[in-house]
Amino acid sequence: MIHFYFEGERLEAREGQSLAAALIQNQERITRLTRIKSTPRGLFCGIGSCFDCLLSINGELNQRGCITEVQEGMVVQIQNGN
Amino acid sequence: MEIKHQVIVVGAGPAGLNAAKYAANAGCDVALIDSGKRLGGQYWRHLGVDELDRKLHHNFDAGSLLMDAVRANPRITIYSDTSIWSASIFDNQIVLRTKSGAFLTERLILATGAYDRVIPFPGWDIPGVMTAGAAQALLKGSGVLAGERIIVAGTGPFLLPVAAGLASEGARVVRISEASGVLAWLPQLHVLLRNPGKILEAISYFSILRRKSVSIHNREAVVAARANESGVLESVTVAKIDSNFKILSTHEFECDVAAISWGFSTDIALASSLGLKSRAAKDGSLYISTDEDQLASTKEKSYKIFAAGELTGVGGSDLALIEGAIAGLAAASAKSDKRRLFKVRKKLRRFASSLQRVYPVPLGWKEWLTPDTIICRCEEVDYGTIVDAKNQLSATDARTIKLMTRCGMGMCQGKMCSRNISDLLGSSDGDRIRASERPIITPITLGELAQEGLL
Repeated sequence: MIHFYFEGERLEAREGQSLAAALIQNQERITRLTRIKSTPRGLFCGIGSCFDCLLSINGELNQRGCITEVQEGMVVQIQNGN
Repeated sequence: MEIKHQVIVVGAGPAGLNAAKYAANAGCDVALIDSGKRLGGQYWRHLGVDELDRKLHHNFDAGSLLMDAVRANPRITIYSDTSIWSASIFDNQIVLRTKSGAFLTERLILATGAYDRVIPFPGWDIPGVMTAGAAQALLKGSGVLAGERIIVAGTGPFLLPVAAGLASEGARVVRISEASGVLAWLPQLHVLLRNPGKILEAISYFSILRRKSVSIHNREAVVAARANESGVLESVTVAKIDSNFKILSTHEFECDVAAISWGFSTDIALASSLGLKSRAAKDGSLYISTDEDQLASTKEKSYKIFAAGELTGVGGSDLALIEGAIAGLAAASAKSDKRRLFKVRKKLRRFASSLQRVYPVPLGWKEWLTPDTIICRCEEVDYGTIVDAKNQLSATDARTIKLMTRCGMGMCQGKMCSRNISDLLGSSDGDRIRASERPIITPITLGELAQEGLL
């Protein structure tokens, strides 16, 4: 088991999982709030095509949770607008 | 940095893996490029934990043998985790640009596959509504159940393995809502009977579904979704529909996930930017046209571009494997007899075209929309805005509607919305094809462009 941080909270994940999957396993479904209407979005296509599960990962914006492997100590935040 | 190979294969699913294997066995130096971290594509997506992978796949052994063969082949160099953001022809060479440099070749095999098609409905942007492929990728790629109470909906044979996988791993699959009629297969029965392997596979899913008390309801569709106060999916509206997708009656079902697929859209972005000829099928899908050898570029050119797998017509993994083998042999100019492969391909293609007839998606879904239903997810363009631009600003083609409303201008490069917008506009085949042509295939930063010396 490895650990990562989501919105400051320490969560557990299994090595090799995608970040989006690790979040869903921890009951976290919202990855970003949209730019214009600020509505919540989450995993949608699951294979890197739709760019809906965008997150801030280690301070870098616009990262797709579904194709990013979760890493020990990763600091992840909901992407708000942008 | 420039990397050169005799043959380059893009996409490491069934078609690409087999193409790489056959070309390498015929003596070529082959590069296999894939955007994913592990080989296998969507079909053989796996976690890399043997017992789990075996449990979660219908037929993982064949995939794992092929992946091992490709990994062990000294003539194949694998570039995984590598996204191509542009493809062009320069000096009679094919140039593929990635973040780790440019790849050059004179023989390219495209096996870029397909992704789920989803049609819009009110609430389809709520977290918890996802493609059936996403629910399956979570399970096969990460060993995670998408939710606890799941509705699987849409149309096509793909709904069966998705629902069976979710149910056998412990999710409560509330129901499968399949839009086609219960007797839809009847006119195609002769084709089905000639493919006993497909019947056996379907039976294995049906028996899991029966054991888990999952019922299949034909002529049903998820037509709306509602969020709870935290903003995530709480329930969906399931409608009884007619063959034109007109809503006859509705019921509300609580669920935390709706996994939806309306067939597949091919990923033709690379093929389009290389100028390959595509054709629009009767149902609006775009496919790449090839000759008998899977050659998609014109014969006069000194370079050769082949296309294999879903890209040339959605037909499943068996067909993809055969097309990959043919493309691999042809790219290597191998002198082997391909007649047996042609024969199998013909049979499997007949099955694929039957599938398309059994699971049509008529435009009746338009009536499910409300003016504030999001159509373009990236740019948050709603149906009302598109109707206004069409009626008041004469935006009747994909390019004009994009300029007027921004729909199709977002990060997904139109992958999620352009087919639906074409359907809503009633676009011509030519306009559908033009809408798929993009100079940049996947978003990159200006810094990355500058690094390539292109700014």
